[in-house]
Amino acid sequence: MPDRIMRYLLLVPALVIVLGTTLWPLGSAIATSFRNWRLKRSPVPQGWVGLDNYAFAFEEPEFWNALKVTAVFVTLDVVIAVAVSLGLALLLRRAGVLQSLTRAVLILPFAMSPALIGVSFRFMFNGEYGVLAKGIGWLVPPLADVIWLASPGYAMAALILSDVWHWFPYLTLIFLGGLAAVPVETEEAALIDGATPWQTTLLVVLPQIKGVIAVALLLKTIFALKMFDSVQTLTGAGPGITTQTLAHYVYTIGFVHYDMGHASALAIVLTAILVGIGIVYTRLVMPPKAVAR
Amino acid sequence: MTARSPLATALQSAVLLLFFGMIVFPIAWMMLTAFKLPRDVYQLQLGFSPTVQNFGIVFEAPWNIGLRIVNSMIVAFFTLAIAIPAAILSAYSFSRFEFTFKRGLFFLMLATQFIPAVVIILPFYLMFRDLGLLDTRTGLVIVNLAIVTPFAVWMLKGYFDAVPIECDEAALIDGASRLAIITRVIVPMALPGVIVASVFCFILTWNEFIFALILTRDKAVTLQVGLVSFRTERGDLWELMAAAGVFITVPAFIAAVAIQKHFEAGLTGGAVK
Repeated sequence: MPDRIMRYLLLVPALVIVLGTTLWPLGSAIATSFRNWRLKRSPVPQGWVGLDNYAFAFEEPEFWNALKVTAVFVTLDVVIAVAVSLGLALLLRRAGVLQSLTRAVLILPFAMSPALIGVSFRFMFNGEYGVLAKGIGWLVPPLADVIWLASPGYAMAALILSDVWHWFPYLTLIFLGGLAAVPVETEEAALIDGATPWQTTLLVVLPQIKGVIAVALLLKTIFALKMFDSVQTLTGAGPGITTQTLAHYVYTIGFVHYDMGHASALAIVLTAILVGIGIVYTRLVMPPKAVAR
Repeated sequence: MTARSPLATALQSAVLLLFFGMIVFPIAWMMLTAFKLPRDVYQLQLGFSPTVQNFGIVFEAPWNIGLRIVNSMIVAFFTLAIAIPAAILSAYSFSRFEFTFKRGLFFLMLATQFIPAVVIILPFYLMFRDLGLLDTRTGLVIVNLAIVTPFAVWMLKGYFDAVPIECDEAALIDGASRLAIITRVIVPMALPGVIVASVFCFILTWNEFIFALILTRDKAVTLQVGLVSFRTERGDLWELMAAAGVFITVPAFIAAVAIQKHFEAGLTGGAVK
């Protein structure tokens, strides 16, 4: 078969899968978002309601709450995870026993399931017998009496901690990959010229991996925006709805209240936010080469 | 690098030890809990008389972890069996051919990762309800393809790009078809990459939670969703959760450690070179 047909033919299976499992649902959710469809009242969609579901979504205080929770979570989570992993990666460049020991375990948290991480941290943050709650209370006495998962701010902190724990070792691996490509000579030259190690790291090494940092930031931001699993298993969006992310809010409207129209509208809003951030990000931050080769 | 003061070295070692402990401790604590009797679960001492009874209990009714393990394995197997070959074919095309809309199509594949799982699941839930696919492994395989396939295409293209095009040309001169080139030249040469991509996709599917939570009730419940069932009216049965957690973690850890040295390239492999 000639290549000019073959090149398209080879694409067909994956394209069919991707179109069928992501773009069709997206289109279908957009269509449903313009309809009135409460599964508890009717098994089939009812009338078209125009933009009512969207208007209703923006009127709900729960939506604004979820938006705020998501913004707080994403900002802190991304900044802490990326900063910690960048620091650790810089420490791990040297050879040494401790270095190779730490490198060897970096892969483990990422291979763990977010649902299990949520469950494990819920156990460890338990107010009565949680080993992390007790340990933190012992290290920082003012926190000794905190019931982590029952206090809004601390529940959010626990959620962020668990997600940072899940991600920072993996991000460290990504940064180590980037750092491995930085020529040692550039650093040596800077040091010989009298730069301090701090200056060398900040002004010579980090600029050379800014492409990798940009990818890591985008990756972590997308996953943080989609955060659902450990919200469900760690805090259950509580106390109250103080840790309810947008993804969890959509889930609640769709599969606890079974209001398909409302849930679809919210889901589309969430997608729009993700796509919007993605576009802005690729335009502003990513080196053009990194988008697609 | 210049010589460093002993103080700086000691400080560095302390920080590294702290990081090591931070990574290992939660995993170790969960694993230890799996070997505890209920009365020891609420104690913080390291000394306790270990038991393996939890690993037996989770296989009994109502937990039936055996069935959950089988479900998780079957779903992961069929998801990969469909996604990886499909991804190999299209990754090859993206890697070797020029065509109209190539950049656009490739970007579209990646852009699907911006669509949150809750969006994908709403229409599928409604469709599966009509088709009788709720609470089936078939349904889970179909939705899992959504998260796995674009990832696989992206990663595999990066690995295929690294195979010199001269290999294709030599095989073409020998009269090989494109399919033969893919199966006999490219896949064997990029085999480490194919394995890394497969392991990556295995971990994604094995750990998948929200689809299984929404789509399954009883028969097709996976290990991840099985975890939730240990939250009972009697409170959380932590030691049983931990035992189930061991079954969740061990296969993923083995897979991840096996490909560890290639892992860095993983998620960003196709993007940054």
